[in-house]
Amino acid sequence: MATSTYLSSPVVTVNAVDLTDQCNAAAITRFLEALESTAFGSSSRVYVKGLENSTLTLSLYNSFALTETYATLNALVGTSTTVTLKPTSAATSATNPIFTLTGTYLETLPLVNGQLGALDTIDIVFTGGVFSVAIV
Amino acid sequence: MKYEIVSPRIGTPGDEYEPVEGVNVDALLAGGFIIQSPNKAPKGAKTKTDTNEE
Repeated sequence: MATSTYLSSPVVTVNAVDLTDQCNAAAITRFLEALESTAFGSSSRVYVKGLENSTLTLSLYNSFALTETYATLNALVGTSTTVTLKPTSAATSATNPIFTLTGTYLETLPLVNGQLGALDTIDIVFTGGVFSVAIV
Repeated sequence: MKYEIVSPRIGTPGDEYEPVEGVNVDALLAGGFIIQSPNKAPKGAKTKTDTNEE
């Protein structure tokens, strides 16, 4: 049985800035558009690979302090950058690969998500870019 | 253009920052993570002052 339990160690960088200590959820998803190629004579639908449109979704604690969440993201909204996600803080290896989206786009940035008695948290999504995985 | 690391979120403060492909350097500057390294002006040639009054 293969499982992955995340206690505290995934490593997240946004535009080369390590935001691991402000992040409590991260998900990178490869998405390759499906182009239907079903033709006469087929008895089921078939598809071929189209353009890639992978995403990285992050849940972050919002902070307006120097070099924290807001300072990292404010100048990135509406632009493309590079983001990385690694399952654990251990050295990069075949069992701990680092996933990268290069040239990925940040479309929206929630500025304040305030609620009485709760920490300010924001969810952001980086879309598109070139996906790569490294094991060294 | 050379850059110096200010925030430990980027690397070791004081070290030179080498821009990586795909990283938005302007955003790092705007966020205060790095600064432009001060360019030292080249020393000018020393000129002798002629004090010999004739």
